[in-house]
Formats: sequence, C-alpha cells, structure tokens
Amino acid sequence: MAEVEETHSIEFELNGERRATVVPGRELLVHFIRDDLGLKGTHIGCDTGNCGACTVRVDGQLVKSCMMLAAQLDGCAVETIEAGPAEELREAFNAEHAVQCGYCTPGMLASAAFLLERNPNPSSDEIRRALKGNICRCTGYENIVRAIERVANGKATAGGAL
Amino acid sequence: MLVANPGSRPLAGGQSLLNVLKHRAAEVEAVIDISRLEELRGIDAEGGRLEIGAACSYDRIGASDAVAAAHPKIAAVADGLVDQQVRCRGTIGGNACFNDPGSNYPPLLVALEATMRVVGPGGDREVAADQFFQDTYRVDLGPGELLRSIVIPAADGTAVGYSSLQAEDSWALARAVARVRCNGTIAEPRIVVGCVSGAQPRATAVEQALDGAEPSAEAIAAAAEQADEGLETASDAHASAGYRRKMARVMVARAVTEATERARRGDG
Amino acid sequence: MSSSSTETGAPKTTTKPWTGQDLPRKEDKRLLAGQGQFVDDVWMHRQGYAHFVRSPYGHARVVSVDVGPALEMAGVYTALTGSEVKEMCDPFFQIAPEPGGKIEEFPLAVDKVRYQGDPVALVLAETRELARDAAERVRVEYEPLDVVVDAVAAADPTSPVLHEEIGHNVAWKGEYSYGDIDWALENADHVVKIDRLHFHRFSSTPLETFGAVINWDPGTDMIEIRSNNQMPIFGTMMLSPTLRAGADQMSWYSQDIGGGFGIKIASYPQIGALALLSRKAGRPVKWSETRSEHMLSSGHGSERTFLDLEAAVQADGTILGFRVRAFDDAGAYLHYEPLGAVIWAQVLTSCYRFKHINVDYTETLTNKCPTCPNRGYSRLQHMWMIERLVDTVAKQLDFDPVELRKINYVQPEDYPYETPNKCVYDSGDLPQELDLALEKLGYAEWRQKQAEVNAADNGKRIGIGIGSTLDSGTNNFGQAQIVNPDLPFSGNGEAAIAKLDVYGELAVYLGTTPQGQSHETTTAQVVADILGCDPGAVRVYAGFNKEQSTYVGFSGTYASQFAVTGIGAAIGAAEKLRGEIVALSAFALQCEESDIVLADGVASYRGDEERAIPMIGVANLCYSNVAVLPDELADRVSLNCRYVYRPPFDPPDPETKTGNLTLTYANQIHAAVIEIDEGTGKVEILDYVAMDDCGSRINPAVVEGQVHGATAHGIGAALHESLDYDEDGNLLQATFWDYHPATALDVPRLKTGHVESPSPFSKNGAKGMGEGGGAPLGTLCSAIQDALGKDVLVTDTHNPAERVYELLEGLRNGGGQSGVEVTSR
Repeated sequence: MAEVEETHSIEFELNGERRATVVPGRELLVHFIRDDLGLKGTHIGCDTGNCGACTVRVDGQLVKSCMMLAAQLDGCAVETIEAGPAEELREAFNAEHAVQCGYCTPGMLASAAFLLERNPNPSSDEIRRALKGNICRCTGYENIVRAIERVANGKATAGGAL
Repeated sequence: MLVANPGSRPLAGGQSLLNVLKHRAAEVEAVIDISRLEELRGIDAEGGRLEIGAACSYDRIGASDAVAAAHPKIAAVADGLVDQQVRCRGTIGGNACFNDPGSNYPPLLVALEATMRVVGPGGDREVAADQFFQDTYRVDLGPGELLRSIVIPAADGTAVGYSSLQAEDSWALARAVARVRCNGTIAEPRIVVGCVSGAQPRATAVEQALDGAEPSAEAIAAAAEQADEGLETASDAHASAGYRRKMARVMVARAVTEATERARRGDG
Repeated sequence: MSSSSTETGAPKTTTKPWTGQDLPRKEDKRLLAGQGQFVDDVWMHRQGYAHFVRSPYGHARVVSVDVGPALEMAGVYTALTGSEVKEMCDPFFQIAPEPGGKIEEFPLAVDKVRYQGDPVALVLAETRELARDAAERVRVEYEPLDVVVDAVAAADPTSPVLHEEIGHNVAWKGEYSYGDIDWALENADHVVKIDRLHFHRFSSTPLETFGAVINWDPGTDMIEIRSNNQMPIFGTMMLSPTLRAGADQMSWYSQDIGGGFGIKIASYPQIGALALLSRKAGRPVKWSETRSEHMLSSGHGSERTFLDLEAAVQADGTILGFRVRAFDDAGAYLHYEPLGAVIWAQVLTSCYRFKHINVDYTETLTNKCPTCPNRGYSRLQHMWMIERLVDTVAKQLDFDPVELRKINYVQPEDYPYETPNKCVYDSGDLPQELDLALEKLGYAEWRQKQAEVNAADNGKRIGIGIGSTLDSGTNNFGQAQIVNPDLPFSGNGEAAIAKLDVYGELAVYLGTTPQGQSHETTTAQVVADILGCDPGAVRVYAGFNKEQSTYVGFSGTYASQFAVTGIGAAIGAAEKLRGEIVALSAFALQCEESDIVLADGVASYRGDEERAIPMIGVANLCYSNVAVLPDELADRVSLNCRYVYRPPFDPPDPETKTGNLTLTYANQIHAAVIEIDEGTGKVEILDYVAMDDCGSRINPAVVEGQVHGATAHGIGAALHESLDYDEDGNLLQATFWDYHPATALDVPRLKTGHVESPSPFSKNGAKGMGEGGGAPLGTLCSAIQDALGKDVLVTDTHNPAERVYELLEGLRNGGGQSGVEVTSR
C-alpha cells in the first residue's frame, strides 16, 4: 500500500520534453511551472481558481494549473505557452488587437486553442462560453472573440507585426 | 489509505478541495489522489439506467451520448457547469460529496431517485440520494469510505425540469429541480429545492398540491407559492434570505413548468 | 549598411502617415509568446519571500505583536512590526490640509488597525509557503473597537473615531458654489428633488495584483524597487521622506504591468514596508499579494452618497442647475486622497450647460479599505449623479429623454466652452454623437419592440437607456491647491528622450508605465511620421526605469493623458532630433537644411535620392567622427534629445475654486437596451452601443480597445461587481469567488462608433482617453428606469437582480416612497 509522503518523484513531459524531478506534496502546479521550471508565461491572478490566468494543457485537457497539485503531474504531458506556436491564433490576436496588458493572454490562447480543436467553427456564443473561465480586465473580450472568429473563418494569415 | 491516515481527504478533480486547501480553511493532513482510478471513471448505460463513476469528469459526462439519451438533464448540467477548465477536471462525485448548497448535482440526484454506491473498509453499501445528502458539506460517508458511483434509474417516461437563478452564471442564488410524469395531469411529482441547505429538501407541500393537477400556469404558480414553506435561507454577499425564499418559489414554478412541457413533448 | 529595419514588412509609404493607422502592436510579440516581464517574474539572488500579517478586524487597538513564534521556525529570516517601523520612519506626507493633514500613517499599522486587512507585521522567509506559515504564527492581540462603515454616518461627530490625532472622521470638507442656485431654485418652473443617490464601491481589479522585488542594498544604500507601481514618481515623493532616504537613492523599474487602472498608484505603503524589511534582513525581498489581499487592502474605487439633490428646470426643459450634498467615503487612510475632493470639479456640469451649481462636499474616513484612483477617479461619481438627474427630470416631467439631453448639452458652436468654474471644454459634438448612437442602436425599432413586449405582459420588460459622460484628460495638478492651498503643485507634463544610437538606431525613452495602453506602438507611429521611417525602426522603451527613463514630477500612466502628454513629449523630442538629423545631413550633403528629406530611414537631397546619407552615417558624424564637424554644429547636436511637454496651465484660484483644471475632454455617449425578467429582477443586455470622441486618434484599434475595456468595467460594476462591508467591517467580497469580475458571458457584443473632434489644445489634436467616463453606469440605470417607469427611482449604480426585484415589488405594491419629488410653479 502506498504511503503518504511529503515529497513525490514525478516523471512527466514538458512541452514535448521528458523530465523527472521531486516535488513537495503541497506545491501547486502553477508554482511548480513558474518557480521550479522557471517558465513565467503562466500567470497567477487569483487564489480561488476563478480567473484562468494560470490555464495550461495537461494531457490535452484544459486545466487551471492553480487547481492541480504538481505531484499529480506524474505520467502526464503538460503544455504551457512556452511550447510555442499556435501561429494562426497568435497572428489573429495581434491582427485584431486582442491583447492589451497581456496578463490573461497565455490562458486565453490555451482556451481558444482547446475550443478550436473541438469545434473548428464555433458561434460567437460558443466562443464566449468557452472563454468563461478566463477573466480579462482590459479588452472587454470583444477583440478576443473577434480574433477567434477570424481563425475559425480561416482569415488568419501569416505576416503582421510579429 | 484513508483509514490509515485519519486527517486525509480523497482528491478527485480538486476543483473544490484545492480552494479549501489554498485558503487553509480546513486542517488536512494529506490528500489521496483517486482521480486516476479507472474503476471510478466509467459510464455504464443499460436500458436507460445509468451508472456513472464518481470520478467521472463533467466533460466526459457532457460529451456522453449514453448519458444524453438516458438522462438529458445530467448531461446538460455537466455541459453548462462553471467553465471549460472546471469541466475538464471536476467530477460528479466531487460535486455530490462537497454538497455545498450551490452544488449543481445533489438536488438533481435526489429528484431522479439516484442511488449512491459507497465502498469502504466495512464493505460496499448503497444509499438513496435523499439519505446521502445530510447537511451542508456533510454526506453519508464514514471514515475511510469513498463514493464509488452513482446509479440513476431509467427515466421510464418521467421528465425533468431544472431551473437556476445564477448570479453571473457561476453559482446559484436559487435552484429547483422537478421530476414528473404528466399525461394530462401531473403524477408522482418529486420537487427538490436547491441552494438552501445541503439536506436538499423536498418541496412536499408543492408536490401534494400538484399531484393530480392539470399543468396549467395558474395551478403551477399557485402550488409554487408554498415552495418556501419550512425553508431556512441565509443572507450573504450575493442575496438576502428573503429574496432567496421568494426565488425558491419562482424556480420551483419554472422547474415544474419545464418538466411538464418536456413531458408533453416526450423529451424527458 | 541600412539602419532602417523593415520588421513590419510594409512597403514604402511616403504618402500615408502612420498616425491614424490600425497598426498591429509591437508589444504583442513578447506577450503572445508568454515572454512579458511582469513583477512576479523577477527574481533576485538571495531573496526571501515576504508575507504581511493583517488585521481581521475592521477597527481595533493593537495591544501586542509577538513575532517570536514566527522567528522560531526554520527558514524564517526576519520580521518587522509596526512599532519598529515607527522608529525607523516619519509618517507619510499628507495631501490634506488640517485636520486631515494631521493623520499619522506609517507603512505598517502601529497602535491601531483601521480596516480589515490593515497590515501590522511583515515576515520574511525562504519560500512563499513558509512565509505564509510564519505569518500565521505571529501572535497579535487586538482589542476590537466599534466600527463605522457608512460615509454619512462617519460625518457624525459621535461616530467611532479612526484617527485620534484629528478627533473625528472628516478628512476634508468644502463648498463649491457657482452662479446662484438659490435664485434658480426659487424662480424655476419646476424643481425636481431626489433624496438620495448612491455610487457604490467597486474596483477595476487588474488581473495582476500588487507585487514588488526590493533590495535595499547594504553596501550602496541604494533602494532598488522592481514593481508594478504605475506612478513611481508619486511613490518616490511619498516614500523618500518617510523612509528618510533621498529620492535619488530610490531606483524604480517596471516593464510589463498586468493592468493598473489607477489602483497601482496606491502600492507605495506596501513598498515602503518591504523596503524596510529588506534593509533589516540585509537581503532582497520578493512579494506578490494574493487576490484576497488585493481585494482587502490594495485600494477601492471611490464610493459617494448624494443627498438632497435639487434641480431647477424651466418649462422648455432647460436645466438651470442643481444643488447637492456629497459624501465621499475615503476608507481608513488617505491614499492619494483627498485629491478626489476636487478632481470631480473637472467635469462640474458633465456634458451640460448648467450655470448654477452648489456642491457641499464632505470626505469622510471609514473602517474600510482606503480608496484610491480607480478608472475614472472621482469624475465617474459626479457625472453619474448628473446623468441620473437629467434622466429623472426627463422621466418625471415627461420630456423626451433624447430631446432633453440635446437641449442641455454643450452645443458644437459653444466650444471652446468655459464652465461655471472656468474649466474649458475643448471640442466635441454631443448632439451628433447622440444621434449616431441611437442610429447604431436602431432606436426607433427598439422602441417599437419595447411597446410590443411590455404590452404583452408575459413576464419580461424592455428598457432603453442613454448615458453621456466626459473623460477629462491631462489634469492641472494645481487643482490640488483647491484642496490644500499650501501644496506646491501645479501644471502637468511628461518627458521623453529621442535619440539615434551609435549605429543610427532610433530609440525613444518615455517616463510612462503602461499597463496595456500600447505606448510602444502609438509612440512609434507618431515618431515614424516625424522622422520619415517605418514604426518597426523605432524602438520605444516604456515602463519606468529610473536609469533609462526620463521623468518629471507627473510621470507615470494614469488619468487619460498619454495621448496628450506622453505623445506630446515624444513629438517634441522627435522634432528636436529631426532638427539635429537635418542639420547634420545638410552638412554632410552640402546643402540647405530645407532641401533635406527624411524618408525610409535615410536623409536625402530633395529630388535626388542618390545624394543621401543613412542614419548610421548621421550618427557617425556625431558620435565617432566629430572632428569633421564645424564647431557651431558640433556644439549644438548630441542626437540625444530630451523634451518636456508642458500643457498650458495657470494655477487655479483656491478662493473661488475656479480655473482650467484639465486640458482635454473626450466624451462618451452610450445607449443600451435591456430586458428585465419580472420574476427574478435579472437584467439582460440585449443591445449596446458605445460612441466615443477622443479627438484625433493615433491608432483607432487601440482607442477602440480602450472603449471596449472601459465599457466592460462599467457593465461589470453596474450589474455584477460590488464591494460591501457588513456592520462589523468585514469585507463580503474578498475573493473572485464572491466578487465577480465580468466574464465573456457578462459583456455583450459591443457596437462602437466614433466622432472625431480634434482638440485645439494638444500638439496633435488628440485627447487623452482610456478611463472612459463610466458611461455604462448611467446608461444601464437609465435603461432600467425606462423599463420601470416613473413611480420608483433607480438610485444606485449597482443593480443586481435582487435590487431590481425590489424596485419591481415597489411598483407592484403601488409605488409609495420613490425618493423623488417634483414641485411646479
């Protein structure tokens, strides 16, 4: 029978790369990503799992990393904003001015990507529902919705100020 | 492990427990991760009867054709709950066992006459939903026991209405669930008032008034006036006790209306 | 070697200016890659993690603070208490004159705590969680005191006193009087009286909370502050005397800031405490507050109660003026307050031509989180009251709400318009803007739909509302003297440096601290036009960095002024630089300066592109090849050009409380259609239009983005967001679980439009914008009122389902006390 431990050995995949380390049982995944793995693109905006700034992908699922323990990462694949591309979405966000302060942006991109994988042609209501778990205080969501619609309608093209 | 570590709690989706831990709102010695136990994550459907593993995520439930066919409301609630991130991780068992007045599933499970299957050091046992939900944050689980699955009997011609007044679409100020048979007149009404108490009270006075009645707007409205009988509501940052009581009546009326209309259409 | 990079890949455009284009942002590259640098990303060698110990009480005496149990824990470095801080510091400089000016506030609470969340101690430990564990072990003994949480009650001398050194809770009081309201009320055809209006407490809640990494270096005594404070100059002015350190010892740095909205002006007390902690510990201190801490203690938006509002109205609808008593709730300490006691006067008559105004203004202290500037600081409150007034006059006297507004608006031919307190509204066309708003809404069609739905009696009601506001930008800090004549502040300004670096690279340094306002992009557009290059070639360094930035006493990013002050400074610096580049080029090409053309990063002789010198060549002459220059040229060029933009202001007159308080006035007219569920009171927005006029727009997409954001904030506050305290001083919404920031489902699709009335007063015709005026608050109140009719009154900015339900019940129970009274001659 397994014992309750204070630290845990975990093996996992980080943005496609295999890793192994030891984590304290009480450490949240978001702190593990930011402080231990040194990846600062995943952000913290609240302490009740409401804001979505910490959203990442774990085994393809959309997850608020502040609502998961690092120890639970064992055997999983985690993908953060640093994994890169989603070119189309980033171009669309840039073209539609869907970024202002940028703090919610990595979480928004994760949720947008998840939506489009499941539903390549969402209605504007479906887009808003999909973003429900990501708070933005700057954009009023309008341009974020437009950016996602732009990708869904196939209008995103390479190029732009990036 | 739960028995061997008395201060421990099972961790499934973590969408409620982790908040408790982050705010240091409870003394928890350890958490025991059960989220990957396959035996807790299945969905079994046979002849309209559903058995859903306690650690089955909302996302899976919402996407399940079997659930949608057998009990559309179970799927609909999963599909609309909170947000996508919570739906990916949160589980029906977690929702049931947390049993916050705002929890979406407990009143529905009581209305559907669900059976909760429990496993523990003393063996397996089954508890009827209306016995399982005892009080706010308290369900019928003893030390070392885990909810294994939830069994919902076949709809068998009944129809369900589910009505919530949700502050900002996240947590509800008032909720009611109604399950009825209706073939010209209402029969076997089961009406549960949510958002009030973890005991998931039945609106018995309303049930009595509606039993055998025609599902007219007037009859439903008149019956629903009694929905807050014996209800103790609380005032907090979101709403006053008085408003909650009045909204209980409104939600009951709307849930019953929805149920009777679905019965008429044959939607379940 | 060409020094002009064409990162944008855009073709040569010598004809179409960059200013005015929807240029995609430069900032996005790093932000979309998750490579922004926010304060919690900063890490210093040997740092400890700090955590504050905070009062659970709204008001209490601090009997004792024992950090012993915390210090016993392994991994805890040190701790700081209020009594230690008092020894090390002088109390914060107070903006208020006496009595408010005698308040003694230190970076940590000393003998008393005055609001739930007031910090009493600070611990430093090896890890974040350990610091939190240690903070929990600190033993504080409190003696709870009675609490006052209502601004009007706090004005009563018998209410519990927060600051014994002043003996009561009135931080500031004054009367603003213009024209003759007594005469107007006596002689008007109608007087409309409203007993009480209340502008509620809420916050913009930037997604990123306060944070800092601070090192008070034991060797050099320099205080390095890496933070997300959005007005480091103000922080310096407050902290330098308190910490007994020179302003020059304090080095502030910020890069990306996750939203500010004014609230991040107020982090200086925490930064002060953390600096002291760092000095005591001899190591850097890292701190990021939790969301709960932010809700409890960062800074809340102003809350204002208006009593006995009386308006004088003529038969033809002309509103002569009004009188009102205003009570502003400053919370437990004065942070940036009581400047709010005068700032609203920038928009004394809002969009209207009222002539007779009397405002009796009292600012009180209560056992709540201190208020601070919050998107629309102090003006939203006043303009909302006026809009409720206008809306109510229309409803009660049966005027058409559109026509009544048009009659009373400042008219296009009135500009520049001097208000009764001598503010000058620069430009605008409000009637046209209103017409456009209604056209975009489909006003006539919605009125028809409304009639159908409301007659159908099937549990729904439709209401249509209008809201008009101003966004006053670039304030004259001399208005501080109206609050306290001894304050040596006046005018405004911003500084910028434009330079060519040693290989001809173009760089602009600003004193601003953007939190999403696209300074890098808009500045590049404007400078690119002046210097004839591509915006991709203009590197803009925004984000306050004391070593790199240039600054004046007003630097920072706040108060809807960047397009005027920051851009004004950038324009001035770029023009100076242009002059030098042209002079050097003329020398190099042996021609007159007037023959030089700057285009595509090259200086050439007009009409002969072959006769040219690239920027790298120009730079070479100044940096490394100076002996070839004649003295008179070498003496006057540096290619490092600093410019301070100074708007034309005179100090106001504190006696009469008059003066030009702000340079530019953007305006907003919103229109909305709502539907009320009569069973529950829940309000759904069916249609929403936001019109904006901010003069010449440097980047229309950026402007529109600000409009969306401000509108979302307003809708959030109107329907979903409120900060309430119970009678014991407990904050009821201390997390995002209880305080519900508007989500993508709460904000409807926004239709926007614009009118462009250039300002005659700014360098580029632009007006500051961004705060937005709070138009949704008035608009949604107006819409709800429209749905309810005239027998009840919408009196609060915040209308969640329960409040609307109560109003409906009021109607169903036969009206009764509505809170509005009309007397007619």
